Amino acid sequence: MATGNYGTIRPADVSVQDIEMFYSYTPNRESITSVDLIPLNPIDVLVPATNPNNVTEIFGGLYTLKLPTAIFGTKGFYNIIIRPRQIRTTIQDCSVLVDNQDVKGIVFDINQIPLDLQNRFENGNLVGYRVEYLKEQTGTGQDKIQNLYRIITSNNRALPITQSQGNSNASVAYTFNDNSTSVFCTVSPSSAPSIKPNAVPFIGNPLQDVIITNTFFDPVMLEIEMVEFDDETLAYALFSNQTKSLEDGIYTIYNFGNQIYRQYNLYEVKDQFTGKPLFEVREQKFTIDPTKDFDDITNF
Amino acid sequence: MKYLRTKRNLENYTVRSIPKSVLVKNSEGKTVINTDSPNYYYGTIPQFKVDNEGNYILNSFGQKIVNTIDINVYLTQKLDDMGIFTDKEYIPKDTLLTEKPNNFNSFTYGRLAGAPVDFYYKNTPQVSGNTDDSLLGQVKSYRKDPSGRDIYVPNLNTSNNPNEEFSGVINETTDKTVYKINANKNNIPNTGIEYTTFKNLFTTTKNEFGFNETYKTTIFSVLNSGWNQYNTSLKATIKKEEYLGVVFKPEVESVVFINRGIADIFERHSLLSEIKTTNDIDTNRGGFIRI
Repeated sequence: MATGNYGTIRPADVSVQDIEMFYSYTPNRESITSVDLIPLNPIDVLVPATNPNNVTEIFGGLYTLKLPTAIFGTKGFYNIIIRPRQIRTTIQDCSVLVDNQDVKGIVFDINQIPLDLQNRFENGNLVGYRVEYLKEQTGTGQDKIQNLYRIITSNNRALPITQSQGNSNASVAYTFNDNSTSVFCTVSPSSAPSIKPNAVPFIGNPLQDVIITNTFFDPVMLEIEMVEFDDETLAYALFSNQTKSLEDGIYTIYNFGNQIYRQYNLYEVKDQFTGKPLFEVREQKFTIDPTKDFDDITNF
Repeated sequence: MKYLRTKRNLENYTVRSIPKSVLVKNSEGKTVINTDSPNYYYGTIPQFKVDNEGNYILNSFGQKIVNTIDINVYLTQKLDDMGIFTDKEYIPKDTLLTEKPNNFNSFTYGRLAGAPVDFYYKNTPQVSGNTDDSLLGQVKSYRKDPSGRDIYVPNLNTSNNPNEEFSGVINETTDKTVYKINANKNNIPNTGIEYTTFKNLFTTTKNEFGFNETYKTTIFSVLNSGWNQYNTSLKATIKKEEYLGVVFKPEVESVVFINRGIADIFERHSLLSEIKTTNDIDTNRGGFIRI
């Protein structure tokens, strides 16, 4: 027995539906324009690996990004952010439990949640989710309250109960009820420290917009540098087959599959009056001459 | 957030094949490429996968396959245990259920309103296995036979708590000794752990140091494990914030060697080593030393 905490790092087996992705593109590192993030649909581009011993089981950890060349086929730098999916909603109420008045929590309305995400709000499913808060008054600069978050420690469907407080006042508290569409979430931290009992931590206000995020995996940022040349293509110039057409001066470099990789025109620049050679030129040819197919040339 | 960097060469996705079908003769009779041909992709990265003839590659459903740049990423989840749960009393539903729902499994069914605690009890089959004969000595008689060998007397209770527990031999034959350890004295057949040590069978295993150890072959069996009234209760479980990160209940260890600060037996000797002059006697530690 010991006192302390322990943890682990496990391969994430998060569903693609719980992921959101963005990318940005810049043609070079020196670009000074601001970063424009463009959403990507993870369902289209992220494929989890399956366990080879059980094809109906996710392998865990390993995901393959399948980036469409229609978007990612340009030379330059792509930054891809893979992060847990955010759910935006509004705090319906902030209150306590009827039978445990010291248990404070925030209440969400399941009907405000997108249909495909409502099952995340069933009892216990939000435990571990992170709540971040938006400012209640918009148009005051940054909408998000920065550096503030709370962790959901429990969630249960709960029904509001009106309690008489005397002097014609009444307050609403909540009692667990699975038939309700309201969800009572306890968050941490939510209780005051013993040395300062009145310093109750902020957990949100009614009608305040919040961002709820799962913590199923650690976010990843991937920088992909798309290049036109690498060791392999440079090796074409050194080691692959080449032809030089003596009739028209077309110099062709083939890749290791004997497909035309580059073509150049070779010619001399001479003095127009004396005919004296001045330069030997190798100029890239962008209109490919298909008659320089290597197999056709060497098939004699 | 993890930051990963990788590099991809677009040449690997660029079409370099020139199908014969896109070649035509121009007005000069020279073979050139018909760049308007739908099969001509030379030098481009097509949106869909194409073969060397410039035709789309189709999947088993006859659909075009999106041309993609594939990159593997490894996603991980870092966890810190939030700490131990604390039991909390709750107000149960007034009317308790009397019959379990069909195929009720508490681990998949979860909490069921009105279910009494015995709905969650679960017996498991008998637990049995092999072990060594180290417990055999606990049930032997103090007497020896004429050859000096141990005697095992059936029904002789060798427990340290004989008023409540039974530890002793229940069956002794020429080839084996059957005995119980820590059985309930009033329910010996169904409680305690039953051991059977064979007198003429031996098992050899390697110990943690790699040396062979040989002992009489012994099997054990026990009933009544699983979830029962001794390890199951119905409580609400909460996590108190003051216990966040505390995984086990605190355990206080007795410290045998207590550091008592300056009141050490060597203190006086070390104190004298600090005295270099007669003035030090008066001034050291603010006049601590009195003559």
